[in-house]
Amino acid sequence: MRGENRAVLHGDVGRMAYGPALELQRRLHALRRHNVIPDVLLTLEHEPVITLGRGARAEHVLASSQELQRLGVEVFPSERGGDVTYHGPGQLVMYPILDLKALGLDVHGYVENLEEVMIRTARAFGVPAYRKPGFPGAWTSQGKIGAVGIHVKGWVTLHGLAFNVDLTLNGFALIVPCGLQGVEAVALADLAGRPISILEATEQALRAFAEVFEVELVPVAGEVIRQWSSPSPSGSRCTSTPAS
Amino acid sequence: MEIVVPELGEVVEARLLRWLKGAGDEVEVGEAVAEVEADKAVFVIESPAAGTLEELVVSEGQAVHSGQLLARLGLS
Repeated sequence: MRGENRAVLHGDVGRMAYGPALELQRRLHALRRHNVIPDVLLTLEHEPVITLGRGARAEHVLASSQELQRLGVEVFPSERGGDVTYHGPGQLVMYPILDLKALGLDVHGYVENLEEVMIRTARAFGVPAYRKPGFPGAWTSQGKIGAVGIHVKGWVTLHGLAFNVDLTLNGFALIVPCGLQGVEAVALADLAGRPISILEATEQALRAFAEVFEVELVPVAGEVIRQWSSPSPSGSRCTSTPAS
Repeated sequence: MEIVVPELGEVVEARLLRWLKGAGDEVEVGEAVAEVEADKAVFVIESPAAGTLEELVVSEGQAVHSGQLLARLGLS
């Protein structure tokens, strides 16, 4: 079904630590829920961080806290689905803040779309990638190239996908990725056999995103998006905080 | 009133992750009462109305499917 393409604002916010990026997502989520803003897609890289999804088990972090500290890797609990994962420089992160109902998507359809974005991005660089039934994400014959982990509240999404482009630090060695023993995390540049910049990968991923979601991406300066704040301290959290 | 699992689509496996409220708790309309995990998505279940959670029908960790009854809500 091809209708009129909806507009989704796209902002690249560059390199961000996990905490501030989470805060930003929460603000955007509140704004989207209150219909103050249209759908938004954030692209970014994270400073090195290991995040523990709702299904995470602590023993899936293999490195000691001293080692993580030495490497400058933060550890964060996260409200997204899934187990343990790593984010860091050289990995493209996409956080779509989308109203799934308005897009006519259910949860499964949304996860499939995110997978498809990564599969098409990999293919754009000549790297065959595919789905593995029962194991969400984007896979190659060499291992897992991209992960999904999302949170849906009021049918508006947070979190999203992480696609390994050209990792400077292979932080996946510090964990059991996704809690799956024996799974190798691989990066696009290694499989393509040439260096690939985040910029180059982002460009392809944005094209894939627009195609898969059948939307038109409208660029907004990252600094503008970073400055958006919640509608009001009480209003922004009215759905999660009981009146006291 | 019933609180049910929303339409998740063709998910491979969904389960009730955790209750955020307990039986007997009063909830506001739109207040988060539970989290369901499906594929790699955490979906927050919000109360469709204000009232009291009379009975939690599903326990944490249990497999669930779209449309399944999760809890009964007594309207206030």
